[in-house]
Amino acid sequence: MPEPIIQLRDCTKVYHKGGERILPLDRLSLDIEEGDFVALMGPSGSGKTTLLNLIGGLDSPDEGGLIVCGQNLAELSPRGLARWRSRHVAYVFQSFNLLPVLTAFQNVELPLTLMPLSKAERRRHVETALRIVGLGARMHHRPDELSGGQEQRVAIARALACDPRLLLADEPTGDLDAQSAQEVMDLLTALNREHGKTIIVVTHDPKVAQCARRQLHLEKGVLARDTASEPARRGGA
Amino acid sequence: MRLLLSALLRKPLRTLLTVVSIALALFLYCFLESVLYAFNVGVSMSSASRLVVQHKESLAFQIPISYRSSIRQCEGVSAAVPMVWFGGLYKPKDATGEVREEFFAQFAVEMQEYLSIVPEVVVRDREQLRALLADQAGCVVGDKTAERLNIRVGDRIVLRSQIWNQPGNKPWAFNVRAIYTSDSPSFDRTMMLFHYKYFDEGREFGKGMIGIFLMSIQNPDRFQEIATAIDRRFENSPFETKTVTEKAFNMQFVQMMGNLQLLLRSIGSAIVLTMLLVAANTMMMSARDKTREMGILKSIGFTDAYVFRLLIGESLVVAALGYALGAGLAYGLFNLAEVNPKPDFFPIFTMPREALLGALGIAALTGVLSGIVPALAGMRLKATEALRSV
Ligand SMILES: Nc1ncnc2c1ncn2[C@@H]1O[C@H](COP(=O)(O)OP(=O)(O)OP(=O)(O)O)[C@@H](O)[C@H]1O
Ligand SMILES: [Mg+2]
Repeated sequence: MPEPIIQLRDCTKVYHKGGERILPLDRLSLDIEEGDFVALMGPSGSGKTTLLNLIGGLDSPDEGGLIVCGQNLAELSPRGLARWRSRHVAYVFQSFNLLPVLTAFQNVELPLTLMPLSKAERRRHVETALRIVGLGARMHHRPDELSGGQEQRVAIARALACDPRLLLADEPTGDLDAQSAQEVMDLLTALNREHGKTIIVVTHDPKVAQCARRQLHLEKGVLARDTASEPARRGGA
Repeated sequence: MRLLLSALLRKPLRTLLTVVSIALALFLYCFLESVLYAFNVGVSMSSASRLVVQHKESLAFQIPISYRSSIRQCEGVSAAVPMVWFGGLYKPKDATGEVREEFFAQFAVEMQEYLSIVPEVVVRDREQLRALLADQAGCVVGDKTAERLNIRVGDRIVLRSQIWNQPGNKPWAFNVRAIYTSDSPSFDRTMMLFHYKYFDEGREFGKGMIGIFLMSIQNPDRFQEIATAIDRRFENSPFETKTVTEKAFNMQFVQMMGNLQLLLRSIGSAIVLTMLLVAANTMMMSARDKTREMGILKSIGFTDAYVFRLLIGESLVVAALGYALGAGLAYGLFNLAEVNPKPDFFPIFTMPREALLGALGIAALTGVLSGIVPALAGMRLKATEALRSV
């Protein structure tokens, strides 16, 4: 059995707010297998975003440790962490994922500029990624010329462009109508199934969570429930 | 860094206004420096081998021309040229028949000797030079003034002096026999020089009295010794003298302007500073708007150092554009197109090289100062905070 892509061991995160101690994560341990599709659920303030940020190396735990993609994040310098992130992890946020001044093409190209690629290679990657998300025709539009759903798809294309092993999405459908949300989830499902990406999606929407294979419920910083859902639609495995 | 330029274009109007206000401030700075340089250029165009003998108390008083022979006898002195400030106004009719009043510096001089000790004055045409020396009513005009007032060799020009009258209040007439130029870039090419003899014979009063002697000495290192010897010679005479270097002589005029210069400098600095502060403030504000974007960049894997360079680079680019525009405009205007805002007042008006460097320094400082705060903040910004802030 291969090593899990994410191993959290007793991770604790503490915030102090006006003398009050908040524990968004309380000695949380968790393994996630490569190629899994996880929905992270829980009430507001339960620590979902905090957890996602730890996994993506945007934040570090106050106690405990984690190994992601075979790398113990505690061993990396901030600079090393940034490089590691550019290679292994990609983020999709709820909204305003894109730089408004850049076109869809340029936004997707952005992370690729951190890699030793020629211009032609970059162009090829960008075009492929945009085609996968179905926006090949909108390459040269700027974010304000795209719908919310299209913006999210560009963000996903950007996440794909570097071919990361891990895709972290924080309420990617939170701002979308049902139709666009479904499109985005279909896209994520396809990425998981056809491209083998490990995906973690934070969501409040049970319908969205249905698309995932595994559902984690956080409550006050601890894991309340961990269920494997029937691979919902499209039959599947 | 295409990203950088795109960021600038994000609010093209705001960026443009920032660039323009920096450009304007720097243009003003360059202009001011040029004005101050123009005030002082007389000092830099002086020759170390020339001395000036003037009245001990003030330039307003005259000294007798009879001193000339005694001065010439002093050891080390090779020539002593009498010079009188004429203070004439030239009133040509322009095309519409309207009479204008034009001013330029005029001196009555002992021509032959003057030309021999002031080699900066160059009359290229030998024929003109011969005619000038031959005609007692002749004069030579600097090419800048000749060009400005459309004066040509062979013209007869009439001046009215605010100081010197001819009997019956007859206006002074001169024949333009030559035009001079100069190979030295800092030499005054706006003067008019004419024969002392013609002037002295014509004037109604003050005959035999002159303003200064311009002297040439063989060894510039000995000027102190020579000056003391001359002044001692005329001690206790009715007209005591003061002998100074040409540089010190020219400096007197600059010092008369001293307060004006200070005033100009302080007003100018205040304006420049204000405009730069406005520009810096705008740049900082535009950087603050970008918190979210910096968070996204970091989440993608851009390093803190990259974000720092990006923000500081942006303000440096704005400052550099402002510099190129402002200093470039000043350079083009004053040094290439040779625009002189007040040719009768400033014989020479160019922007000194130091102004270009000074403006560059100011631009760089503005760029760094307005960029450093947001850049440091952007560098320290935690992606998680930035992304939470929407
Ligand atoms: N920088 C911070 N300073 C202080 N408290 C913080 C900070 N970041 C998060 N918290 C607190 O930590 C707790 C967990 O926050 P987190 O953002 O992880 O919740 P969440 O599950 O993502 O909630 P939501 O569904 O609303 O996004 C909250 O109580 C929050 O107020
Ligand atoms: Mg959250």
